[in-house]
Amino acid sequence: MGVLSFLAGIIASSVVASIIAVLYSLVLPGIERKVQARVQQRIGPPILTPGWWAVLKFRYKAKTEPIAQMPGFYKSIVYLGLGVVILLFLFSTPYWWAVLGWGSILGLAGLLKLEEVLYVLMGSQSQSILSTSMPVPDLAKGAKGEGIRREFVEQHSAERALKMMAIGSIPLYLALIVPFAAAKSGLLSSVVALQNPAYSAASWFSLPLPSSPILFTVPGLLAAVVYFVGYVMLLNEKPFSILKAKIDVIEGGVLEYAADLRAVYYIMRNLLLFTLSSIFVTLFLGIPFDPFMPLLFILNMLLSLIMPVALAIFVAFSPIFTFRQIYPATIGLSALGVLAMILAASI
Amino acid sequence: MTLKATARRNAIHAMLFYSGGCNGCDIEAVNALLSPRYDVEQYKVLWTWNPREADVLVVSGIIAWQMLEPLKKFYAIIPEPKAVVAIGSCPINGNVYKNMVGDIGVNEEIFAPLESIIPVDVKVPGCPPRPEDIIAGVVKALPKILEAP
Amino acid sequence: MSDQPKPANAENVVVEKELSFGPVHPALIEPYRIRLFVNDEIVEDCEINMNMVYRGVEKLLEGLPVERALLITEKVCGICSNVHAWNSVRVIEEGLKIDVPERANYIRTLTHEVQRITSHLIFFGHAFEVVGHETFAMRSFLLRETFMDILAYVGGNRVMPSVPIIGGIRPRADLTEGLKRAILERVDEFEKKYTEYVNRIVADPLVMSRLTGVGLLSKADAIKYHATGPTGRASGWDFDLRRDMKEYKSFDYNIIVLQDCDNKARVVQRALEIVESLKIIRQAVKNLPEGPVVNRSWIAGRMDFYTALLESYRGELMHSYALDGQGMIRSYKIRTPTPANLAAMEKACVGDHVTDAILTIASCDPCLACCTRAEVVESGRGRVMSDTEIIRKYGWRR
Repeated sequence: MGVLSFLAGIIASSVVASIIAVLYSLVLPGIERKVQARVQQRIGPPILTPGWWAVLKFRYKAKTEPIAQMPGFYKSIVYLGLGVVILLFLFSTPYWWAVLGWGSILGLAGLLKLEEVLYVLMGSQSQSILSTSMPVPDLAKGAKGEGIRREFVEQHSAERALKMMAIGSIPLYLALIVPFAAAKSGLLSSVVALQNPAYSAASWFSLPLPSSPILFTVPGLLAAVVYFVGYVMLLNEKPFSILKAKIDVIEGGVLEYAADLRAVYYIMRNLLLFTLSSIFVTLFLGIPFDPFMPLLFILNMLLSLIMPVALAIFVAFSPIFTFRQIYPATIGLSALGVLAMILAASI
Repeated sequence: MTLKATARRNAIHAMLFYSGGCNGCDIEAVNALLSPRYDVEQYKVLWTWNPREADVLVVSGIIAWQMLEPLKKFYAIIPEPKAVVAIGSCPINGNVYKNMVGDIGVNEEIFAPLESIIPVDVKVPGCPPRPEDIIAGVVKALPKILEAP
Repeated sequence: MSDQPKPANAENVVVEKELSFGPVHPALIEPYRIRLFVNDEIVEDCEINMNMVYRGVEKLLEGLPVERALLITEKVCGICSNVHAWNSVRVIEEGLKIDVPERANYIRTLTHEVQRITSHLIFFGHAFEVVGHETFAMRSFLLRETFMDILAYVGGNRVMPSVPIIGGIRPRADLTEGLKRAILERVDEFEKKYTEYVNRIVADPLVMSRLTGVGLLSKADAIKYHATGPTGRASGWDFDLRRDMKEYKSFDYNIIVLQDCDNKARVVQRALEIVESLKIIRQAVKNLPEGPVVNRSWIAGRMDFYTALLESYRGELMHSYALDGQGMIRSYKIRTPTPANLAAMEKACVGDHVTDAILTIASCDPCLACCTRAEVVESGRGRVMSDTEIIRKYGWRR
């Protein structure tokens, strides 16, 4: 016993948890598309198509060099992003809670911020053919704007990513604080212990259910609403998809990822979708993703469906917001989040 | 059936390149995408606007002079394996713009047929073809993609 | 001149950078290039380059027999095919005083209004795609299928119905009793669903917040830039050529004029025009006179320049040509509404966010396939050159 067995446990749990999470998260975009399609009165793609088969297909495409300022760096960003999201997910699994205090609000918030920074880096690197470098004679004689700096749309997307980093992620962080404030501790273990006291002593095949989930209190409910909108903002989905708005910057910084890089990007994006839902279930319902408790992690995975399905319905009914709408929306949500934080002291 | 072929068959990303025609084929192709009555996604065809993501390049329209260079460039940057579907009479034979000329004799403004610029795998004739035909055309391009290494 | 548009690098305008979109872009679909000169997120100046689809239609028509010209004029545009076909026919009918049977006029008007509805519904599809609301866009395309079916029943093709010919309409496009009943039934069914759809849009606060107060085009500017059609009428300019067209004399309908001048007005304008088009369709079917549908007793001969004007779905459309002694076309000229509307939009989108500016440009319902053929520039020798020729000759800066 001791350090060795702990290390063995952490490695085994990380491997098992990552594999399960990646395999499961690739089903989510299909479910999302299907729900959206049903809202739009059409049949929609088969559930495995947008996630599973698309990733495999990109994996089998010929490798291509992206058009970027520094192609090597640009290629490495997406692997870095995948690493960040996997770590973010692992920090929310119980074996990592004991490691150097990483399983705490600091670990989660720090990695989320890092994930956002990656979009700025991607945007400043990518130089897709779809905007300035398109070979059309637009600088004919008499054209406007001589001598003005011409910018790629991805660079504009990077500027927007910077703004979203500054304001867009505040609601999510405020909502994240609420369960920790209720537990009067910064550690995930105490948040789960507050809601699910039976968990720490449960055997591997049992299903310890939470006795007092934070979600069913007033501040918890408020925080859940704020968390959901923050989740939409962090995933850059409509209506907060300004940094990858299809109508002007197309996809933003990820435009130039092709073949296997795009497969990695798909995995990263879908894993983030699942991770944030899983963290929600862990924090607000007290059901952690414990890879060595099958019933518990299956329950976590099932409850993690709530967020993507709600997201799909939300996306189907909303337009893209410009900063005219994003600023007031964020300020209002932040106020709600602060209210939830203050109320959380009463739990 | 190998895993590679199954994956390729189950997710086809198609991209529309409108090289200058009359909007007819273009609207019908967008119709195939957006109208719930046709809903191209149920046939596992996902529409994209990013050449880096695409497998099938759907080209409509006569190739106008200013669209020639973008077309070549787009075709070049789509990762292998790729296929090209020409929809409408315009990219196939130039339609009325090439074949019904008055006094000028030869219309030098257009570069149809498409085959003289990039290799074409499937031709969907019609002026314009119906959305069903466009979907069928995209799906007909599959064997080439499946057999590619 | 104080009212000249300011150049991008004038003193009091700070332009940080240029963003260019197109010609292959999800928001534009058609090939044209938008260059926005922006300061952070605000558009300070705009240039729209719209000569990507030059096909030389006017040159092709030179020297063709007038009967065959219809095949090309219909393919000028795939959204408003009937408009171009009809107007090219009206030139010779009015120039050579060819009588058109009343029944043919009714069926032409019916096709015109049916295609107006499909065109406006494409506008909704495109506008809501640009707003980012896919569900509304898809619902609009679903509603549009009703009228695509009617066009296919009447004309035989969903997009190119080819209804008008010189002297009347094609006999195959004549309405039978069964078809008349089917059209009326479908129109009723459509109106019910359509009313729900529009009410749903107007009640949606998120969509309305994107549309309201954006892309202001004042009435003075609309007149100055000659914005026509729904774009001009949404800015309070009461101008509709249907008032002057003899084909519309026997119908009872209203001309919608809104005073709001913004993107919401341009959307609502078209929503209300569809209702008026439904009225015309019902009247055309119910009051359809009996008689022949085509007058074959005419001979194409010498004709001086004649210009026919028609209220198309995007505004005023002009076709003009002369015929020589053998009935061959000389000097075909087409002027479409989109260049004027786009020029007005270049003005209207200044001062908005980038995302809103593209919505503003889309809100004039641009149809680039129509407008890229009248690019006429005079060189020193008085010769008329196409845009493509000019670039070939002089090149462009890189």
